[in-house]
Amino acid sequence: MHRLADALALYGDAPVVVSEDGAATAAELWRRADALISAAGAAPILRVASDSAADVIAALLAGGRARRTVLLSTTADRPVDVGACDVLLATSGTAGRPKIAAHDLASLAGRIRSADTGGVWLLTYAATAFAGLQVILTALLTRALVVAPISRAVVDRFHAAVSHHVTHASGTPTFWRAWLLTSVGAAPQPPLEQITIGGEAVDQTTLDRLATRYPSARITHIYASTEAGALFAVNDRRAGFPAAWLDTGIDGTQLRVVDGILDVRSPRAMRGYRSADATPMTADGWLRTGDLVEPHGDRIVFCGRSDRIANVGGYKVAPERVERVLLEVEGVADAYVYPRANAITGNVLVAELVCDRRLDAAAVVAAVEAHAARTLAKQERPVRISVVDALQTADSGKKARA
Amino acid sequence: MDRAAVTALIDRRIREIAADKGVETAALVADTPLFEGALPIDSLDLAALVVELEVTTGLDPFRNGLIEFHTLGELAALFAVHA
Repeated sequence: MHRLADALALYGDAPVVVSEDGAATAAELWRRADALISAAGAAPILRVASDSAADVIAALLAGGRARRTVLLSTTADRPVDVGACDVLLATSGTAGRPKIAAHDLASLAGRIRSADTGGVWLLTYAATAFAGLQVILTALLTRALVVAPISRAVVDRFHAAVSHHVTHASGTPTFWRAWLLTSVGAAPQPPLEQITIGGEAVDQTTLDRLATRYPSARITHIYASTEAGALFAVNDRRAGFPAAWLDTGIDGTQLRVVDGILDVRSPRAMRGYRSADATPMTADGWLRTGDLVEPHGDRIVFCGRSDRIANVGGYKVAPERVERVLLEVEGVADAYVYPRANAITGNVLVAELVCDRRLDAAAVVAAVEAHAARTLAKQERPVRISVVDALQTADSGKKARA
Repeated sequence: MDRAAVTALIDRRIREIAADKGVETAALVADTPLFEGALPIDSLDLAALVVELEVTTGLDPFRNGLIEFHTLGELAALFAVHA
């Protein structure tokens, strides 16, 4: 915890976090932290006052100063069993109530090296979510300004990045594809030195397009989850990760593939759920990620989530794998592929495309159909393709999936 | 769409599928069976055809489960609106 207090002292009077509501300095954040402590009285848990980045930082400071556990959710039920831990994080639970994961700051920040970069980080995730907290901790421990736009619109985030001269930004592949589309031809661009991608499987096309747009930026894709913590980062601008890591491990994390699904054993995993959910870990500490992987030469590549496999006429198909193929077509800015119930085959796949506005959408769709016919098995080909202005995204910044 | 229009749509789609496969198709009539190998279409072709019919007509005859159909005419009847 004092890592954070020490880090904050380095800012002096400079702003730590800025949003449409204005900037907050370290002194202001400490004032909010102390207010949170006095309001909590003797309660064992300090609940974050709002989901703004400033209030999340204040809650972390308060937890450290008062030696209390911080609940980073304005809505989740208070867990009955707190146990010893620094932070309680709510998962983005796609179905049912969010689960509450207990973490320690030391392991959450386990992959972050303290530095004095004076950089500027763009926060695109919810500040209370695992990914948002990672960005905030990284920024604070490297004395970077946190730019945290309240607006979720990608265009507003892009403009915030330009006006605050953002040097580092982290988002989902879906966010970055929308960013690429929004910012095409825009001048000026933010002076990006670091592009971080996470939360969803990243495809080679998206990596290539980011590298073309920002040739001098370091591009990192991160594999992490609320339960497993930050596992590893890949910096070579290639999708997937080196197959050798299955043997050697990486950054203290062990990896194995069972039935096509990646299992991980992480030194930075949560302490456990504090909600009434069964632990997702085996007795010997392995966590089933649910992420489908397959070998591709010297790489292991991600093919989608195992719970999204659709049955099309008796064939198992992975919609996210199909999205990756459709994205390869020039002019396809993003793609959403999903199963539609069908009387003949049980399901068929259908697709929504976001097209580069500079190109003729009908021509892009024709090119996609030709590419699908060449490269996909018949059961994988979307039987219907519609063009939309933008894809729906979830609060997590990931593609919203039905 | 009336039955004649739906039949024409099915007829055209089956001919396109056959042409893509480089196969000649005999004349299609209402009694032409869809499943027994008389046509060069497989279940995935038929699934795509059903989606096209659902989208074009706005009808969802299979909403409450699979209805038996065997011939081109029976499929057309499911998606036809009677004047």
